[in-house]
Amino acid sequence: MTCRLSRHLIVGVAALVFWVGARPVSAAERPARDLAAGKAAYEQSCARCHGVDGRGDGVDAKRFYPRPRDLTMGVYKFRSTASGTPPTDEDVFQTITRGLPGSNMPDWQHLSEETRWQLVEYLKSLSPVFDQTAPEPVPIADEPGPARADLAKGKALYTQLGCALCHGAQGRANGPSAATLVDDWGKPIRPSNLTQGWNYRGWSASRDVMLRVLTGIDGAGMPSYTGAVSPEDAWQLAYYVASLHEPPHEHRIARAAHVTGALPQTVDDPAWAAAESTLVRLRNAVSSDGEWVDPPTVSAVSFQVLANEDIMVLRVSWDDPSEDNADALTLLLKPEATRGDVVTLHAWPYHGAPRLDVSYWSAGRAEAFELLASTFEDAVERRGASVVLASAAVYDDGRWRLVLQRPLQPAFPAGAAVITPELFAPFAFAVWDGGKPGARAVSPWVDVALGPVQPHSE
Amino acid sequence: MCQRYGMSLLAVLVVIGCGGGQPQDAAAKTDRTASPEPAMHLAQAPAQAQPASGGGSAAVNVTVQFEGAAPARTKIKMDADPVCRQQPAAAMESEEVVVNSNGTLKNVFVYVKDGATGTFPTPSTPATLEQSGCWYRPHVFGLQVNQPLDIVNSDATLHNINAKPTTNTPFNIAQPVKGMKTTKKFAKPEVMVKFKCNVHPWMSAYAAVLTHPFFGVSDEQGAAAVIGLPAGTYTLEAWHETYGTQTQTVTVADGETKSVAFTFTAQ
Repeated sequence: MTCRLSRHLIVGVAALVFWVGARPVSAAERPARDLAAGKAAYEQSCARCHGVDGRGDGVDAKRFYPRPRDLTMGVYKFRSTASGTPPTDEDVFQTITRGLPGSNMPDWQHLSEETRWQLVEYLKSLSPVFDQTAPEPVPIADEPGPARADLAKGKALYTQLGCALCHGAQGRANGPSAATLVDDWGKPIRPSNLTQGWNYRGWSASRDVMLRVLTGIDGAGMPSYTGAVSPEDAWQLAYYVASLHEPPHEHRIARAAHVTGALPQTVDDPAWAAAESTLVRLRNAVSSDGEWVDPPTVSAVSFQVLANEDIMVLRVSWDDPSEDNADALTLLLKPEATRGDVVTLHAWPYHGAPRLDVSYWSAGRAEAFELLASTFEDAVERRGASVVLASAAVYDDGRWRLVLQRPLQPAFPAGAAVITPELFAPFAFAVWDGGKPGARAVSPWVDVALGPVQPHSE
Repeated sequence: MCQRYGMSLLAVLVVIGCGGGQPQDAAAKTDRTASPEPAMHLAQAPAQAQPASGGGSAAVNVTVQFEGAAPARTKIKMDADPVCRQQPAAAMESEEVVVNSNGTLKNVFVYVKDGATGTFPTPSTPATLEQSGCWYRPHVFGLQVNQPLDIVNSDATLHNINAKPTTNTPFNIAQPVKGMKTTKKFAKPEVMVKFKCNVHPWMSAYAAVLTHPFFGVSDEQGAAAVIGLPAGTYTLEAWHETYGTQTQTVTVADGETKSVAFTFTAQ
């Protein structure tokens, strides 16, 4: 037993050291096939989502976007193989090991490498495809290296290959075909927002993107470009896609700066250049029947805060593939007495939940306003007392940018949240994509610190 | 080269030489003069492409009648794609149900489901699936197992060809450039293989993959012909994407041409 444990430990440590990005583990390290072990691991770790029989119908499946795959069909998204052929064992191993960002599929690196290999064997046993069709690795080229990246060529390929039809001219998932896509099961799906490298299901290293271009994403709409683009050019396209990534500034504490004098009134005011930007990821609230109708479209908001002694101004930007009068955003703040409550907006409102301070902006309304709301619907329907806020918004090529002003210490509505310089204030956002009135995406709470921050606080 | 020999020898040659997953390229090069090539006329179903390859002299002329009120064809919005939206308005109607002016039904695939015995040569002349005017042409067609299928993009926009067979190997490939051609084959019989374009969701096509050449597709007159049949008794199936399938049994003698009518009813 000690022997086995230490062997696992060695394998585990070796895996940690060895595991870098897309690097596959050589077949020599694979354990002998043990379907019983694979099945046990599957039932323990996978069945809850992918279903006891692997049909993608686990107890949580309906609440997920994207849906867990039906493994009995043998259709795998992330492969190094030709469209329509099954993945290599290494491809499946890698998907298990890395997980799928932006989905509910986590990484499984806490399982031993041996267990993950047994899972690969078990997954293959769920579909006859692996017996009927051999994986056909697509021809790929050696990576030219970033020093030989030709972004002009990559951009030309992006246009020539029609990427913008789905992914949009600037990669914001707002191409003309984006809203009409369905997967092979007839469920609506959305193309990847290429500016959000952190949110690519198949990871966003240039090698990953190059493979997605050449192999396609089976089951989803993304076709294989093998034959349409050379393996060398696929790298250049991947480098161009990498150039679209906008670095996610995910600060644990968002810093808001004091300014003296006039606050910026517009989204393009040069004063914003000096303000720190913080990205917060959103998660969609599931509809009341617990099943997805439409895929979520807004994945994150980025915000900046500037303030003088009386007023704070936020500039918030978020990608929304279509402009609509019902597009809306709220800033949520916790009134003083409720700081310890409402741990997550996903659970709000719950029975006896406190009211929250809501600053609501909608594209179709003349003005933004602030109120204390018991539910999200309160804000949307503007019930009760509210205060008009100054705002300005611009929509351009799949992106909203909004400037929203709010007093630090509003006198009205009574009980409104107070922002005190030098103290943390929890901020959160909710976003509605007007194309889907029922769908609401909400962020976690982010601590915002207003005021000068000591440069060496340790 | 194969074609110069008699039919039975040809069958043997196909089994021994061309079968077993061997590429058909050699045959493709030598075969060109052996048969006229109506398959190259893109609007025509490949059913008519190999008129003599069945080896027999009997034929069945099929008429597909339609009963009831013809459903209105849905207007397709092609605005999103600057190339597609240049189509004339008449070319922006859905293809699911096309009732001809003479009350017949277009795009019904008619084929011998049972009764075709023996082995039939794999045509080296490719069947063609063209993307033109942001539609697939033809919308419904047949081809034989391992017959090359040329998939051509004649539009100056991105199309993807997402083939979803259940018995054969699926694929989803991109053709971003006008004039691109990709050749594919299906190794097993399957009725039907659906093709769709994710970029233009109104585009779909259906291909029947058969072991024999006894098939046809109903045209603007509702007519389909199954020709080159050896004498015998056959089960004919008529397939329509919306109205499903019907079968009839027909017996033909050498040199005989019979007429068969199918009737699909509005739902």
